[in-house]
Amino acid sequence: MTCGEARAKLTAYLDGELEGERGSAVRGHLRTCGACRQAATDEAALRDGLRDLPPVDPPSSLWAGVQARLAQAEMADAERPAWRRALARLVPSRFVGVQLGFAGVAVALAVLLLAWRVRGPEPARIALPAPTPAPAPAPIAAGSDVTDELAAAAASETKGYADTAAELLADVAHERAHWSDDHKQAFDARVAELNKQIAAAADGRPRQKAYRALIRYLQRAAIRDDVALAGGAP
Amino acid sequence: MTETAVADSLPSPVLAEPRPRVPAVLADDAQLIAACRRGEARAMEMLYHQYKRRVFGMAHRIVGPNDAEEVAQEVFVRVYRGLAAFRGDSALSTWIYRLTVNAALSYLARRGRRQEIPVDDSLSEVAAPPIAERDPGLAARIETALGQLPAGYRAILVLHDVEGLSHEECAEILECRVGTCKSQLHKARARMREILGTIGVSR
Repeated sequence: MTCGEARAKLTAYLDGELEGERGSAVRGHLRTCGACRQAATDEAALRDGLRDLPPVDPPSSLWAGVQARLAQAEMADAERPAWRRALARLVPSRFVGVQLGFAGVAVALAVLLLAWRVRGPEPARIALPAPTPAPAPAPIAAGSDVTDELAAAAASETKGYADTAAELLADVAHERAHWSDDHKQAFDARVAELNKQIAAAADGRPRQKAYRALIRYLQRAAIRDDVALAGGAP
Repeated sequence: MTETAVADSLPSPVLAEPRPRVPAVLADDAQLIAACRRGEARAMEMLYHQYKRRVFGMAHRIVGPNDAEEVAQEVFVRVYRGLAAFRGDSALSTWIYRLTVNAALSYLARRGRRQEIPVDDSLSEVAAPPIAERDPGLAARIETALGQLPAGYRAILVLHDVEGLSHEECAEILECRVGTCKSQLHKARARMREILGTIGVSR
C-alpha cells in the first residue's frame, strides 16, 4: 500500500469502517511509515477533540423568543384568507410563486368545471355502431310534474352560483381592507354593477351567466391580491 | 530478536475506537408529535427541551455564537409549524437536524459569508504540522479552526464528529449519498488539520 492509498483510507480506518484485510493493510502501512503514522495520530487527536468539545448551552431567552415568533406567525395566519391558508398547507410558504401558480390552476379548473356544468359535456364524436332500439320510455306517472322538477334544478344551480359568489366576496373582503381607497372604490363600484346585472337578469340561464361574471371578477381580485397590494388595480 | 519482540518494539498503531451513538429519544415520538400538532403547550415545551441543546449547539458551531440564537429560534418555529406536514419518512430527530442544518446554511448564504467548497483538492497529501498531544487549549483552537472552515465542511464535522451521528444519518440530514458524506468528512478533517497546524505555530 502506498502513502496516497493509506491517506485516502485514513478517515474510514480511524472511524472503524475498514474490516478484515482492508483495515489490516492500513494498519500494516502505519507500522512502517512514520509520516502516515503522524497524520493518523493528528487526525485521531482532531476527531477526539471534536467529539470532546463541551456542549453549548442555549441562552434562557431562546424559548421566549421561539414563543414570540410563533405568536407572530399565528397572528399572520389569522389575517390571511382561508384559500391562502389552504394553499400554504399544500405548498410550503417559501414557494410563493408555486402557491400563486397553484391558485391560478385551481381557479382555471373551477372556471372550466363551471363551464362544463352549465354547458354539459361535449357530445362524443366517436362513430358508434348503430344503436339498438331503446326500450320505450316508461309512461310518466300520473301526478308528477316534470316542469316543476326542471325549474327546481335550475333554481338550485343558481343558488350554487350565489353561494360561491358570497364565499369569494367574503375572502376578498379580507384583502380589500389592505387596498388603497381608489382600489376599494373601483372594486365596490364594479361589484355593485355586477350585482345590478344579476338582479336585472331573468331567472335561469341569464341570471347564472350574470353570477359567473361576478365570480370571475372576484376570482381575479382574489388572485391578484399581491398586485393589488403593490398598487395595481384588482 | 524474535518475531514477537520485533512486533512489540514497533510503535503501537492508532486503532479505531467505537463511536458514541445518539442516545435513544423518547419512545413515544408519535404521541409527542400528535400533541404538538394539537397545540398542547406542555408537549411543545417537552419537544423544545428534548432538542434545544443539539439544535442550538449545531447552529452555534455552524453560524457562530452571535447569530446562533436567531437561527435556533427559526428552526423551532419551522419545526412546530412544519409538524402538521411531517409524514414520518425519517426519524423526528433527523428531520429536526435537517431543518437545523438547512436553516444555518441558508442563514450564512443570506449573510453573504458562504464559502464555496472546492470540488476536489489534494489536502490529504499535504503534510500537516503535528497537532500533538492533548492540551488544554485544544478545544478553543478547534472552535476557532471550525469557524474558518467552509460552511459545508463545518456542517459535516459538526454532525459526524461533534454530535456523533452516523454517516447514514448525516447523509439523510444533508440529503446526499453516504459516499459523498464520507469523502466530505475526509476533506473537512484534512482542512481542519491544515488550519490547526497554522494556529498551532503560535501556541
